[in-house]
Amino acid sequence: MTIFTEHMISWMVVIPFLGIALLAFARDEEWMRRIAFACTLVEFGVSLILWQRFELGKQGMQFVERMEWMPTFNIQYAVGVDGISILMVLLTALLCPLCVLCSWRAITTRVRAFLSLILLVEGAMIVVFTALDLFLFFMLWELTMIPMYFMIILWGGPNRIAAGIKFVLYSLTGSLLLLVGILGLYLEGGHTYDLLVLSEQTYSSNTQFWLFLALFLAFAIKMPMVPFHTWLPDAHSEAPTAGSVILAGVLLKMGGYGFLRFCLPMFPEASAKFAPFILWLSVFAIVYGGYLALAQTDLKKLVAYSSVSHMGFVTLGVFAFNSQGIQGAILQMFNHGLTTGALFLAVGQLYDRTHSRAIGDYGGLHKTMPRFVALFFLFSVAAFGLPGTCNFIGEFLVLVGISDTSFAMVLLSMVGIVLAAAYMLWMLQRVALGESTTKAAAVLSDLSNRELATVVPLAIMVLWIGVYPGPLMEMMDASVTHLVQQMAASQSSIPALALIR
Amino acid sequence: MMSIFVLIPLCPLIAAVVLSLGGRRWGDQGHRIGIPAMGLSFALSLYAFFEVVTSGPISISLYRLMQAGSLVVDLNLYIDQLTVLLLILVTGVSSVVHVFSSRYMIGDPRYNRFFAVIALFTFSMLMLVMSGNLLMLYVFWEVMGLCSYLLISHWAQRKPAIQAATKAFIVNAIADVGLGFGIILTFATFGTLDIQTILAQAEGLQDHTINLFWWLGMEYHIHPITIIPFFLFVGAMGKSAQLPFHVWLPFAMEAPTPVSALIHAATMVNAGPFLLVRMSPLLMLSPEAMTFIAIVGGATALFAAMVSMVQSDIKKNLAYSTISQIGFMIMLCGIGAFVAAIFHLLAHGFLKAFLFLSTGNALQAVHTNHHAANPHSSHSNPKTSLYVGALVLACLPPFVIFSGPYEGVWVANGFGSARIVFWLIGLATVFFTAIYLFRGIMLLFQHGPTIPNVEKGGTVTIKPQLFSPKHVFPLILVGGVMAYLLMVIWTWLVEFLAPALPVSSLLGAEVTVTTASSWWMLLPVGVAIGGWMYAMAGQRPRAQVHSEEADWKRALYVLFLHKGYFDEWYEVYFVQPTLRFANWLWRIVDIRGFDRVVHSVASSSLLLASWLWRVIDIKGIDRMVVGLGGSSVGLGRWLWRVVDVRWLSYNVRQILKGADVAGQILQETETRTIQHHLLVMVFWLVSAICLLYFLV
Repeated sequence: MTIFTEHMISWMVVIPFLGIALLAFARDEEWMRRIAFACTLVEFGVSLILWQRFELGKQGMQFVERMEWMPTFNIQYAVGVDGISILMVLLTALLCPLCVLCSWRAITTRVRAFLSLILLVEGAMIVVFTALDLFLFFMLWELTMIPMYFMIILWGGPNRIAAGIKFVLYSLTGSLLLLVGILGLYLEGGHTYDLLVLSEQTYSSNTQFWLFLALFLAFAIKMPMVPFHTWLPDAHSEAPTAGSVILAGVLLKMGGYGFLRFCLPMFPEASAKFAPFILWLSVFAIVYGGYLALAQTDLKKLVAYSSVSHMGFVTLGVFAFNSQGIQGAILQMFNHGLTTGALFLAVGQLYDRTHSRAIGDYGGLHKTMPRFVALFFLFSVAAFGLPGTCNFIGEFLVLVGISDTSFAMVLLSMVGIVLAAAYMLWMLQRVALGESTTKAAAVLSDLSNRELATVVPLAIMVLWIGVYPGPLMEMMDASVTHLVQQMAASQSSIPALALIR
Repeated sequence: MMSIFVLIPLCPLIAAVVLSLGGRRWGDQGHRIGIPAMGLSFALSLYAFFEVVTSGPISISLYRLMQAGSLVVDLNLYIDQLTVLLLILVTGVSSVVHVFSSRYMIGDPRYNRFFAVIALFTFSMLMLVMSGNLLMLYVFWEVMGLCSYLLISHWAQRKPAIQAATKAFIVNAIADVGLGFGIILTFATFGTLDIQTILAQAEGLQDHTINLFWWLGMEYHIHPITIIPFFLFVGAMGKSAQLPFHVWLPFAMEAPTPVSALIHAATMVNAGPFLLVRMSPLLMLSPEAMTFIAIVGGATALFAAMVSMVQSDIKKNLAYSTISQIGFMIMLCGIGAFVAAIFHLLAHGFLKAFLFLSTGNALQAVHTNHHAANPHSSHSNPKTSLYVGALVLACLPPFVIFSGPYEGVWVANGFGSARIVFWLIGLATVFFTAIYLFRGIMLLFQHGPTIPNVEKGGTVTIKPQLFSPKHVFPLILVGGVMAYLLMVIWTWLVEFLAPALPVSSLLGAEVTVTTASSWWMLLPVGVAIGGWMYAMAGQRPRAQVHSEEADWKRALYVLFLHKGYFDEWYEVYFVQPTLRFANWLWRIVDIRGFDRVVHSVASSSLLLASWLWRVIDIKGIDRMVVGLGGSSVGLGRWLWRVVDVRWLSYNVRQILKGADVAGQILQETETRTIQHHLLVMVFWLVSAICLLYFLV
């Protein structure tokens, strides 16, 4: 038993790769799917055990494992979770089984390769979210890009090649900056890649400025923040359903996670210096993304642009530098993974039936697909932050957090929420209600049990977090408090902190 | 023991959950869950009422919603005198609506969904009035908006219905920005969201200021206590359909009629006045906000009454009548007559529910919404006349409603000369209300539906007489009794609500003046009767109205007929520009701007690459290499021909010959081992390394 309990995270890393090895032996496509599904389920089970054994109220890293890897360069295999990363691990482990489920019938060619890619990206993301060593972090950060690229160009929509290349080019630019930042940290922080050591040190303001800039840009591209967002609608809309879910649900979170793990604790001074700029950019992103989503005629693009808007809330919360803002941002990342993931799953279910993503091709689905419409409705209203669903809690916390800084930002962000309500309801009106516009839409069959199993867990989570976010917030409370204190200690003049009553 | 009151909202919630999850299993028996749940809720509300009467407010804490830094949100139910009255209204009306719908909605394909949503609707309104903190209030405020969306789009294949639903939700969402912002501002000021704590602290924080633009380095201090009520009120304007946000309510008539009863009488629109009364101690500290509230309320009351007067669709008529009445309540709040507002709210709630349900019956019978259209429907119900008779009865009490709250207007002493204006607005509203109610009913009766006569065959046109002598006397009697009862209730209500409204000056004045000046109520009653008289005298076919009236009158008529052109204005100046702007942003800014920058980077690097390849690589380096190669070949040829063949090969041949000879000689003299060769090589290597070492 100890070999399991003492190496929980390593198990979580290993299981997907074991799954890939097992897939190699499977002959039958049905068995491949079963193996992949079983692996992701086991992974989810382990993540639940991790959650159950996670000690609340403890500030530092837990379940830490360290091993020498390349001692010459001080590179270790070091993993561990704290209150911030465990949520991301949970999210990854939750979404991957659903991705396998949703590709059960949708993917018919090269099944083995597709499932291996899902498992590969899952394993890589678990490492990214738990890595305590920058080299490990960087390596697996890069690794997540490759399966995504192949998913897009091999199983994607009609415009997949261009979208794939765009995705890779953007990601590579980001990784290059990340590499520069990490090497800079290695040189400035005493020749170590150890994250915990690096984040305890103080850097001169000049160093902070340049390293912050490099890392910020890297994470901003992944996030994506507004001027760097144009890869997102293409990649999201061309990727197969599972790819979109992973991309929107988990991969984007790497950016926000990076802000919390690197930028804030290591460069508090530079963060505070850049904060006004980033905050206004986020507000702009919220409103701008909302407007863009309003103009879309393609379901997947609409959801993709709504992600731009939602991610604006994450950066807004992170750079509010207080408990409410940061907790709200983390919760918003988690919630965005749930709702946007669910929306992509739902759109995928429609796409499987009609092979059309155009909003105008549907209509009147409430008659033929009542179950689908009910769930789709729930996710859509959750996406615009209807109170009682999970997104509201995140957005409210972020807004309370940012109200310490500026009330104008609160008001403008709320305009973004109104826009979100507008585009989501308008989309629902055209897709779910009214009369069907095409013959194909009039004869669709309702969700099968497998498809229900794909989205119902998310529906339950959406409502549960909406009415009782307590457990999740307790989990991150200690880590966030620590982060805020760290910020306050190194930068006593951060005005946002002075205002907290 | 007190926690039994949790069941008041819980019963409808359970009904909603059961019906929405197991809807199909229940077939068309959805009401069998909904009605008992609502009945239990109603009974418990009555129990809560007696509990509150005997032992004061009840507070039940549920659980801690969240805790982040200084933000702690505990969910708790707070039942005080104000809440308990609303509870009775909401559960009472909702029970009636449930019972009514169980018959009205028979045969509807989404029967159970309908019951699930009205149960959820009731649940959210109950939670809203019971919520002990602002966040919870906001949550259910919004959930109620969602329920209204679901109900308005109940007949989802009808385009007007779904457009109305979206419109209702979005108009509310825009207004809710105000409420949400107000709540965040409240938290920034008070550091808590618990309503009772906020109200208790409000007076102490009156001089508290916030520098609005500190992040710009500017000094601009505001008193949050002054502006918070403004923002809260903006939310109330949306839910309660006040002037710029009123457009959703008439369209909400697309919902099945019982829903209209629920929206207009029990839930939704009542949330606005409730919020204002709930936050009244805070409101009182901001005279600016109070003035604003009174003006908006008064303007809405008057405007909607006038619009209602010229509408020919009875449901539109009733919708604008609701807007007008709610405006009246808001105005009463604005001048500080909170008790009167609640009184009006309760009376209006019960009566409007009655009106709607009887209208629903009448309309179901004639299958149309337009009473002026004179429909000739062949599937009418012979019982129509009975229901229409009920409608008449429902129209009398509005007389009495005006009298009760009107006292509040008379005793409002906070506004000096401005109160004359509010008197006039109030009286004018009463006058117009009397006219449109009378006119609506008269039209309905004049063009009574034609129905088949079951017994004798053929058709009969129903034209009940409104003022036949045998009706007038009972009506006056009933009216008188009701007026007296309402006066009694009014006096009792002032005392009952007093603890829930810690309003210092105005309420005191009200209590003392009540008995002395109750004769003032005769004035509004008189005005109302005047309105009836005028409407009766002015009854004539509508075609004549158009030809005889003066131009300005006709212009006014057209203006109000088109509801002040609000919808058209919003469509042209708000909705379309927003959509166009969104499209412009996407096509021009995002695709041609941001995306093109990226594309131009990509294409310029492609160009660069192609230039590098063609010019530098092929023309430059490659040609050099090719040239080099060519010259090398030339050199090689020359070397081969001249050096190698002619000179070298001759020499080599000579050397080889020599070597051959030497080899033969050596072979004969000494056999050299491989080891010997290796040794020689090692010697040379070592000496080379030594040489290098010394050189470096």
